[in-house]
Amino acid sequence: MSDKDLTKEGPGATVATPPREIEIVESDGHGGHTLEPEWKRLPIGPDHILYPVVVGLALFPILMGDAGHHLADDMPDDETHPFFPDHFWPYPIIAVVMLIAVGLLSAFVQKNLQLEASADPRAVTIPRPDWYFLFLFQFLKLGPELIMSLVIPPIVVGALLLFPFIDAIAGPRIARRLGWKRWPVPGRNIITGTIFVAGLAFIAFLTLWALAGPNFCLPYLTGKVCGA
Amino acid sequence: MAIPHPRDIQVAVVDWLDERYPFSKAVDEALYQRVPNFANAFYYCFGGMVFILIVFQLLTGVLLALYYVPDAGGNPAPAYTSVQFIQNTVYLGWLIRGVHFWSANLLIVMVLIHMARVYWTGSYRAPRELNWMVGVLMLLIILALSLTGYLLPWDTKAYFATEVTIKIAGSAPPQQLGAFIKEILQGGPVVGPPTLQRFFTLHVFVLPALIVLLMYVHFRFIRAHGISEPL
Amino acid sequence: MPKRVTRRTFLGWWLASLLTATVVTGLAPILVYFWPAPPKGQKKGLITVSMQTPVDQLEDGTATQILAPTQPNSAFVMADGGGDNAPGELAFGGFVVKNQGKVTVFAQNCSHLGCSVAFNKDAKTLDCPCHGSRFRLDGSVLHGPASSPLSHLSWKQAAKPNEIEVDGLVLGF
Repeated sequence: MSDKDLTKEGPGATVATPPREIEIVESDGHGGHTLEPEWKRLPIGPDHILYPVVVGLALFPILMGDAGHHLADDMPDDETHPFFPDHFWPYPIIAVVMLIAVGLLSAFVQKNLQLEASADPRAVTIPRPDWYFLFLFQFLKLGPELIMSLVIPPIVVGALLLFPFIDAIAGPRIARRLGWKRWPVPGRNIITGTIFVAGLAFIAFLTLWALAGPNFCLPYLTGKVCGA
Repeated sequence: MAIPHPRDIQVAVVDWLDERYPFSKAVDEALYQRVPNFANAFYYCFGGMVFILIVFQLLTGVLLALYYVPDAGGNPAPAYTSVQFIQNTVYLGWLIRGVHFWSANLLIVMVLIHMARVYWTGSYRAPRELNWMVGVLMLLIILALSLTGYLLPWDTKAYFATEVTIKIAGSAPPQQLGAFIKEILQGGPVVGPPTLQRFFTLHVFVLPALIVLLMYVHFRFIRAHGISEPL
Repeated sequence: MPKRVTRRTFLGWWLASLLTATVVTGLAPILVYFWPAPPKGQKKGLITVSMQTPVDQLEDGTATQILAPTQPNSAFVMADGGGDNAPGELAFGGFVVKNQGKVTVFAQNCSHLGCSVAFNKDAKTLDCPCHGSRFRLDGSVLHGPASSPLSHLSWKQAAKPNEIEVDGLVLGF
């Protein structure tokens, strides 16, 4: 079948088209942000002795791929700064400071690192979780075990996981009902902000309650509830 | 033959790489990407601190694994004595274990602060919802890592804390399901050597791999979205 | 308007489900791997425990603690349950209680969250240090938060007067 057979008349006829010029676009790979002009870059090119260090620093962002188009690209130059070294320099310092801090802690606060006796199921001890689970441990005591352990925590975690959607869907409706113009972020929002602070305060309270020990009891609906 | 200057070797290597893929361009793009000035506020650094602490954890964790024995048979169990050995006998063992321990504690604090900042400034909002969800998953993984890591020294407090945790997980209704969960987690009728091996596997292989993967996704999202606007 | 299912869509779904079913049936048996196999040497049986005082000489209103032996590593098996305990669950210790002339053996696990109870000599009760549950010497609850009685252990007198045999399990590790 040759090309001229294709040229037919009537419905469904193919129309012979002249061969199309495919435009070749010389692309430099990314349409997004602009690089620093040559004169503003660090004087560290491939011919510099420290270039491997720079490559090492860049390796992580390189893995991150193209940055795409950012807010920073639309901002005037004096409101932005390059990632290296202007934005990067505090982090090595933070890393060293934290390393020194945890090093000093391990040197001088040995108490927390000492082991008790090797585990023996026959031993009689009062089980107590590490500090970050104390609030949950205390929370268990405030109601029926099943609800407090396997119903409420998963619901809270689920709500946390889906919070962006809850905030985006329920937020504007609440705002409309209250006559607000918009639904601000939690830092400026009396409702979500208060929920957050109250939640943290509740967790802190439960932790302190548990830390206060088994002899510290507070009255509760089901009688007295003591710490852990 | 003249000995080449190190710089010439370096240039040759970079040229070689550049011929194969845009190597130095990638380095430039990564390094000189522009960042808004508002991102200099101190409260934008908590995520970076979490990252640094996780790196500490991975490094010290590998070092601890050189001496740790995940065996809970007998009393005292090899798991327990190996931790004692790391703590008291291995050169700088106390430091490596100490850094692992304290970084883990600090990590939880920093993760919570980072999360609080993200919440407070509304950085979870569109288009960053997925990154928030990845972050919450990582929080859960961090907690799971703490939980599994707590058992590894195999001392009394670790044993009983784990027993309670498994018991709570095993109280899921109906009773058969709870018993099933308990049996699978424990690897037997009681918390014993199989439990330690399961927790060890989770703590050393499964969860770190997961969190590294999720960290990659997290950073990739940040790079795609840019830094969120302040309050 | 519901979309008509064409032969093509049907076949597509059919093939996809077949493929899924094949993969699932192929992989599912591997899940058994996660189910713990009992270690070699694990076996049920009677565990002999020796006590300082022979059973028939126990004082009324006392509870004597017995611990499951470590050589070989074993545990008692509960005969009944309630609350946190269930029949067939393991206990690493128990109490031989003589109450109103009758000798009973209880697992030491509190029915609330499984902490080990301790004998309170003065009140003649078994008290839990964790959350303050208290049990009478017949095993019934005197004080919450526990709501179920202590679990029994099946036992019988051994050949020697100061030894009893309790239902148990040699753990094998």
